[in-house]
Amino acid sequence: MRIHALRQLYRKALAENTSDARGLRLMRRWLSPDQRAEFDHSGSFEVVGCHSGTRYRIYRGTAQNVFEIDDAGWLIVGLCFIPSGELVAGDVMLAQKIALETNENEALAVAHRFLPRGSFARTRLRRPRRHYGAFFS
Amino acid sequence: MAIQIVMDHTGDTRHHFNPEDVQALAKAEERFKKLTGLGFTAAVRTASGEVSKVQSFDPNAEETVFFPRLVGG
Repeated sequence: MRIHALRQLYRKALAENTSDARGLRLMRRWLSPDQRAEFDHSGSFEVVGCHSGTRYRIYRGTAQNVFEIDDAGWLIVGLCFIPSGELVAGDVMLAQKIALETNENEALAVAHRFLPRGSFARTRLRRPRRHYGAFFS
Repeated sequence: MAIQIVMDHTGDTRHHFNPEDVQALAKAEERFKKLTGLGFTAAVRTASGEVSKVQSFDPNAEETVFFPRLVGG
């Protein structure tokens, strides 16, 4: 029920002509089909680092929204790196995706590491992403 | 028409240009050099949806996105 309401809210926000909506639309267009489906479903998407092959999960947000994940999808460590300037969430997330997929080492070099906490820490207690389909059905 | 998309506080600013137009192409290349010189990263998408970083102006790129230098948050 909550997920359904959040999805409706997300679709409504996406259709608006605000800077946030424009940023999200641009980001969605640049996601791979799998990433786009994942983002529409769960509000986050996974990317693979171009140098190490490490998997990362990018959540909607403008800071402290990127996490290295393990094979099972559990959050390991947070990585805080953002493009400079006051950018909207969609732009930040797209820049983070491009950075990890095309120049992972540079992104990691500037990133500050942190332990998942708050709502993200609770995410660790939930089922890994690959079970979300069954979890929400 | 090709497009250069520059991320900013408004979401983004878009610069459309006709790659067949020599003057427009030169202006687009100038914009590319100016932005990358300021530390922006430029990236393009392939037809298959794969993203790649570009170091020099590609006159055949249909869509190029620019984002500012990364910093630790």
